[in-house]
Amino acid sequence: MLLENLRYIFDRRYTDKVSAKSDDPAIREVAQLLKGRSHSPFARSIHVRMVDAGSPNDVELEEGLMMSPRVDAERFGVHFVASPRHADVLLVTGPVAKNMHIALIKTYEAMAEPRAVVAAGDGACFGWEGKDNYALAAGTGKVEDVLHVDVKVPGNPPTPYQLLAGILKAGSVLAKKSEEHHHHKK
Amino acid sequence: MDEQTKQFIRSVEYSVRTGCLDDSFEQGTSLFLNVQPKHLMTIGNACMMEGAVFDSAFVSSADPAMEEFTLYYLFRAASIGRMLVVSARGSSFDALSETVNAAQWDERKIQDLTGLRLAGIPDSRPLIFHPESGFPAAHPIGGMPYKHPKGTEYPMEGTGEEGEFEVAVGPVHAGIIEPGHFRFHVVGERINKMETRMFYLHRGIEKKAEGQQAASILPLIEQISGDEAVANSVAYCQAVEQALKMTVPKRAEAIRAVLMELERIYSHLADLGGMATDVGFTLPASRFAIWREDFMRLNAAISKSRFLHNQIVVGGVAADIDEAKAARIAALLKKVLETQTLERMAFSSSTFLDRVFQAGTVSKAIAKDLALVGPPARACGMQTDLRLVLPYGAYSHITVNESIEKEGGDVLARFRVKLAEIKESARVAHSLVQHLPPGALREKVPAQKKHPEAVGVGWAEAARGSCTFLVEILPSGAIKRLACRTASFRNWRALEKAVEGNIVPDFPLINKSFNLSYAGTDV
Repeated sequence: MLLENLRYIFDRRYTDKVSAKSDDPAIREVAQLLKGRSHSPFARSIHVRMVDAGSPNDVELEEGLMMSPRVDAERFGVHFVASPRHADVLLVTGPVAKNMHIALIKTYEAMAEPRAVVAAGDGACFGWEGKDNYALAAGTGKVEDVLHVDVKVPGNPPTPYQLLAGILKAGSVLAKKSEEHHHHKK
Repeated sequence: MDEQTKQFIRSVEYSVRTGCLDDSFEQGTSLFLNVQPKHLMTIGNACMMEGAVFDSAFVSSADPAMEEFTLYYLFRAASIGRMLVVSARGSSFDALSETVNAAQWDERKIQDLTGLRLAGIPDSRPLIFHPESGFPAAHPIGGMPYKHPKGTEYPMEGTGEEGEFEVAVGPVHAGIIEPGHFRFHVVGERINKMETRMFYLHRGIEKKAEGQQAASILPLIEQISGDEAVANSVAYCQAVEQALKMTVPKRAEAIRAVLMELERIYSHLADLGGMATDVGFTLPASRFAIWREDFMRLNAAISKSRFLHNQIVVGGVAADIDEAKAARIAALLKKVLETQTLERMAFSSSTFLDRVFQAGTVSKAIAKDLALVGPPARACGMQTDLRLVLPYGAYSHITVNESIEKEGGDVLARFRVKLAEIKESARVAHSLVQHLPPGALREKVPAQKKHPEAVGVGWAEAARGSCTFLVEILPSGAIKRLACRTASFRNWRALEKAVEGNIVPDFPLINKSFNLSYAGTDV
């Protein structure tokens, strides 16, 4: 048992190889994004706060699996944090339910600049068809209608690697925003 | 109608007077009893006296001119193997929750949806609408103008013990989790009382289904709760199939069962891993996560969706499980059946056992009072598995061994139940997938206008427990009303009871041992 556990801890075979030659286009995209970010201040540190504003919980499960040993997003510096005050990225799933509207805005407002918003999943990116669902914010629940969105990750739900690619893209957005911020200061 | 059923009806009828039932008829394994509104509660209570268990309460669509609704009260009658649907049409009703505690949320939801006021309801605060987010102009079902209740507060009261203070948690939590609000009334670390406030994820799914073709809304049904997509779809389809009197081919039934068992396995693996995480037992947590990812990849390989989307259709299934897919499924299931790692890892640590033993205990009395379903009910010795109690589809022909913990009702018991269910699901799916009966994959939906307006009821045992759907279908094939009750909706109030007397730091663990779906509750 002990030997088995030790082998398990040090054995890397459980974690996927992220290579530009992978069969999965999302893994290829992640590999591409990782290549170009070595000089970014967010190269090895992107802190994410998630808000489920209306998803049926599948995007959240994929976020969980993104942190699991197979995908292991932490090896690329992606961390989920408990407080929006510690976060660089707000990962929002949807469609935004009317009852979640206030909580979503409050969470966003608690974040420090620079910050980026990722809309994850079809519900968040496109809202629901039909214009006036009584239960959805802005009638369709599209995140864009209630917050500025920097990166969209469509999918029903997006896979862990698609989510990871979206967060890495938000890292580039953050790098740009932080540069602009410093430039503005000078 | 068999003699036993007739006898059951006679006994129920006797509680009011013989002849008080306006109508009674069978439809599939459901038994419909139509009564006058004034008799509804008496008949409901009589059904429970005869051993039936409260399942759910639904409201029909409204006839705007008449401002009348039909209320449906569903009970599971294991003794005659039927789902009882007691219904009455009218404009004023008494609340069943005055006597049956379990019906409280169902009836509060009915009040919010329609504007009906059920006389004698013990808690009349709005449920699905939050005062601070604003009320709609009209009630979603029926369109009565919404009369705003006084004040914008949602009072949550403690026990009044000296020194008690409140801890408010959510709707946005610290981890990767769905939104809900928990109000703890604590003295030191001890929880005196906890109240949940849900429906942050209310997305109006039932309303959205209205007017759409019954066969076309499965993508919407899959949005009720992501990791119960298959079970909810099957329950919904069975409701439609019952209403339209369709027969599902044997092969399709077996494929549905295989997919439901795969869903149960990956869902339970997430729960077990989550429980391990919440006590800081990371090694098995990682192991469970690896297993789960393997199942998600199997799902993607057989259905092009990691959540087995687009597989279930009204009348059968959309895609076959051919020999290659069957071999792939069987190979992974065999690994689950052969491994001892899951059990060994879980029960090898005394600190783990110390955290889960007698944490978050639900007594059998509370479980009965709240009519719990699924693993939390089975963890206190209640037989609630609908695959056995009210078998449907392929489960009518195969044996499933129910995983029951006779006593306990604590986190450990729920852990054991889920662990045993993983093994049993693997066994069932492994044997099904190797002997899939030959035949068609789906029956055609009957042509429009071939059927009169119809009502159907469907149910399935999801990973979290049973879910029940009721559909009213117009002759055009369009949905007139869709109503659903998931396992999570039924079990939330048990979590409130389970945490009483425990310490605040154990709450995440106890919550995870139930692993209820917030989206599935809020719909």
